[in-house]
Amino acid sequence: MSQSKIGTDEWVRQYQKRRGKPAGMAGVVQRVWLLLPTWAWLALLVAAGLLFPLTTDNTYIIRVGGTIALMATLGLGLNVVVGYAGLLDLGYVAFYGIGGYAYAYLSSEFTTVHWPTWLSLIVITVLAALFGLLLGSPSLRLIGDYLAIVTLGFGQIFVQLTTSLTRVNLPGIEKPLNLTGGPNGIVNLDPVHLFGFSAQSVKDYYYVLFIVLIVVLVVVYHLNYSRIGRAWRALREDELAAETMGMPTRRLKLMAFAIGAAIAGLSGALFAAWQGAVFPSNFDITLLITLYAIIVLGGLGSLPGVLIASVIMIAVPELLRDVRFAGLLFYAGAVLTLYATLKPRWQILPLLALLALFGLIVTFLVMAATPGASALLSPPGSPVGIWIPLPANSSDAGNLAFFASIVMVLFVTRVKKHRWRFIALIPTLYLLAFAWETRMSQEPSITRLMFVGVLLVVLMIYRPNGLLGQRRVEVV
Amino acid sequence: MALLELTNVSKHFGGLQVINDLSMSVEPGEIVSLIGPNGAGKTTLLNLITGLYRPDSGDIALDGQSLVGKTPHEITCLGIARTFQSLRLFLNMSVIDNVMSAAFPRSQANLPQIVLRTPGFRREEARIRQMAEEKLAFFGERLVGYRFDQPAYSLSYANRRRLEIARAMMTQPKLLLLDEPAAGMNPNESLEITELIGKLRDEAGYTILFIEHDMSVVGGISDRVIALDHGEKIAEGTFDQVATDEHVIEAYLGRKNHSL
Repeated sequence: MSQSKIGTDEWVRQYQKRRGKPAGMAGVVQRVWLLLPTWAWLALLVAAGLLFPLTTDNTYIIRVGGTIALMATLGLGLNVVVGYAGLLDLGYVAFYGIGGYAYAYLSSEFTTVHWPTWLSLIVITVLAALFGLLLGSPSLRLIGDYLAIVTLGFGQIFVQLTTSLTRVNLPGIEKPLNLTGGPNGIVNLDPVHLFGFSAQSVKDYYYVLFIVLIVVLVVVYHLNYSRIGRAWRALREDELAAETMGMPTRRLKLMAFAIGAAIAGLSGALFAAWQGAVFPSNFDITLLITLYAIIVLGGLGSLPGVLIASVIMIAVPELLRDVRFAGLLFYAGAVLTLYATLKPRWQILPLLALLALFGLIVTFLVMAATPGASALLSPPGSPVGIWIPLPANSSDAGNLAFFASIVMVLFVTRVKKHRWRFIALIPTLYLLAFAWETRMSQEPSITRLMFVGVLLVVLMIYRPNGLLGQRRVEVV
Repeated sequence: MALLELTNVSKHFGGLQVINDLSMSVEPGEIVSLIGPNGAGKTTLLNLITGLYRPDSGDIALDGQSLVGKTPHEITCLGIARTFQSLRLFLNMSVIDNVMSAAFPRSQANLPQIVLRTPGFRREEARIRQMAEEKLAFFGERLVGYRFDQPAYSLSYANRRRLEIARAMMTQPKLLLLDEPAAGMNPNESLEITELIGKLRDEAGYTILFIEHDMSVVGGISDRVIALDHGEKIAEGTFDQVATDEHVIEAYLGRKNHSL
């Protein structure tokens, strides 16, 4: 016992021998990620982003690309505040709005001011950061949910003020002043004009937004791997311990708030220039929810996660505008869900065969029961072919099938006995397909949002920490 | 001059007097242990020294400089680091990040340097990394190598305690405060902690003030023992003196003869 026992540990010494490889999707992602160094991934991203507009002349597609870049930039800023510093900031969109309105004031006939773009962008970024400090200093005394409530109020105040500050009476001025343009906003803003390059087309704005995204990405990445990034994460984990380890927590929180606000302000200015106008409705709570969906889906604190999630959150709803694609996704999703949930997996084959047989029988019965029934058959080319007879006035039948299918789905998930569940699945799936063909495919504006919702639910069930998020524990 | 000097410090919570007119000092290079029954005010004393609480009266001074009214991070910058009785690690950060984060008060890189990755920033970052690896190597091979990049929550209880000490060392303190470093450890690990505390003083050069209930640790390493009860110092001296002190025995076990 007199021998020093410090640091002898057989288990640790043998670790390399017993070490296993991470399994499943996480392992695949990790191995692929480690194939290339980080800068190579960044170079790939830059190359893909710069080449993307060359692949198409379709303005709509490039516009979606620009929106993705804009949302990703906003997501990166929010990620600093929420993902790193752990401050639940629900007023984030207000800084985006401040950037937008500031750009409108500095570059339109509304104020008859026309600053050069580079100057207004710098001023707006600093201004938004100052607003971040201004809002942060009183509200950062609060923690967690209380901070969320206060900042949510700030976001709402911004929307209300921009909507209603149209007739402001100031002492010494006779006419009431119109400060914000109200719901009609401020229009005819100057386009971005930088270093002799004037952004005219959607493609130009795409490039501007993409370059800003890359710059913000590099800045945030550098911040994360520095003493400040470590301190942010430390104070997210345990504020008291961070303070005791010599980190000025209050100043660090303000810094996170200000940097997030600056990124949001810059994005807001570019958005305003792109749209050529700003309206209060651009900065309402819908955008906030989308942004939170992006950072939560991507995994809090993960930068590649923000990029992937913003592609998903923006591109998927756009793709779903196409009914044929939505139909494909609907059926593919159904088959994949069955494959994932049926145990043993081979059962999906008899299930699909029985489903096809069920459809044929239904079609046969309908044709036998009604004269002139061939008109009921789905148009050629429909993926459901001869399996689903569509009535002429399909609306009512579709609605009925929709609700019946919900009841059936609930029934199927509740049934314990495997055999009964298997049998009940057949009419359930048939009803779902019928409801899709008759009703849901007719209302793409509604179904696409339903799809996005279902996608989020499923993804978050299978990856509770987001797509690329690290597992987090509270207390062990 | 004493490194840490407490003069007539008092602290109460509501009607409860937790620290009552306490004076004590710690000399440079000393290992002092604080003992006393539960609720004697030991942890409160540490919280007062590190600035988590503000004393009602009296003065706390490090190297002659008063600490009263300073924020905890300022006190850490002046050279006091601590561990916690109920571990407070940054659980979801990697082992090396836990330690490197505590270099914050001893590093200078500012925002522009960080964003631009200047050579100065890179040098400082490399220095912090190397220093963190050295601190972790202090505990043998337990917290090194592959362990650097593992999350702190994956560590065992004893390793978490070691990691917390490494994190405290990273702030480069003059005075290290350990709150029950051997709590929840088995006899072997307690013995190791005892040796470790000695090594922390002899090799790393810290002055150490620690709270401990395990008398084998207290007796094994302390230069001086201070016993507290109800916020008052009831005995002070070598371990043998304190262990046989009438007041200490009374505080732990009760009075020998009750006069009813």
